[in-house]
Amino acid sequence: MPSNSSDIDSALVTKLGADAALLALLPHGAHWDEAPPGSTRFVIVSLVDAADEPMQGGCAYEDALYLVKAVALSTAGADMKAAEARIKALLEDQALVVAGYTWMTLHREARIRRTEVDDADPSIRWYHRGGHYRLQMAPS
Amino acid sequence: MAIKSGRYGTVKYDPAGVTPVALISLNGWKLSLKTDYEDVTCFGDSNKVYVPGMRDVSGSLTGFWNSTNVVLFEATEAATPGKLELAPNSGEPTFTFSGLAYLDADIDCSLSAPKVSGSFKAAGPWVLAP
Repeated sequence: MPSNSSDIDSALVTKLGADAALLALLPHGAHWDEAPPGSTRFVIVSLVDAADEPMQGGCAYEDALYLVKAVALSTAGADMKAAEARIKALLEDQALVVAGYTWMTLHREARIRRTEVDDADPSIRWYHRGGHYRLQMAPS
Repeated sequence: MAIKSGRYGTVKYDPAGVTPVALISLNGWKLSLKTDYEDVTCFGDSNKVYVPGMRDVSGSLTGFWNSTNVVLFEATEAATPGKLELAPNSGEPTFTFSGLAYLDADIDCSLSAPKVSGSFKAAGPWVLAP
């Protein structure tokens, strides 16, 4: 089956969104780049950087750095520590199954943690906690 | 003819020395066709003069470890030379450098994709086709 890089993105979001333990902590699910309006506890997955490692006649493997983070409104009562730990448990050195690819590695390269002041209402705070995850997949 | 990209280069090898088959997961090859020269400069010459000796055919390969094709490593155990064929671009498959060769190999396994490298030396006459 031909490989499609977007399938890797989707597989990552699906894996996080399908985990019951993570959904219990962040019930508004996992989303690519942005969550739906009204969401207060969710996971965001974004592409930070990507490169294709070439080889003669094709691509040896796709090397991508993803931002995967738990995001929650400060008043939503989210256990951010547990959410970050669950994200790490789901991803760190865990194989990702994607049609058209062979999994090589998935691991966290850096941690992120910050508090964001809401653009619309400066009295509101958003918590972000997660990390940059390196995912390498070789086209089959 | 136009300048072509090495992205579509190929390396083929047959341990039996007959019909080379593509080695996979490689990303480069080098071929050296250096010739020794003897200095035969004599009195009265206005500059140094040389005569060529024999051409020394050798080279190297680079790529990534792929467990589905370990021919390169098996070749390091061969008691007889195989046939190696190098093409700068698969879009011009008739332009090849080929001949019998002995191969050796290295593998560098770090935290990223394991890299393989190899070198070769001619074990018979080499030709540039066509």
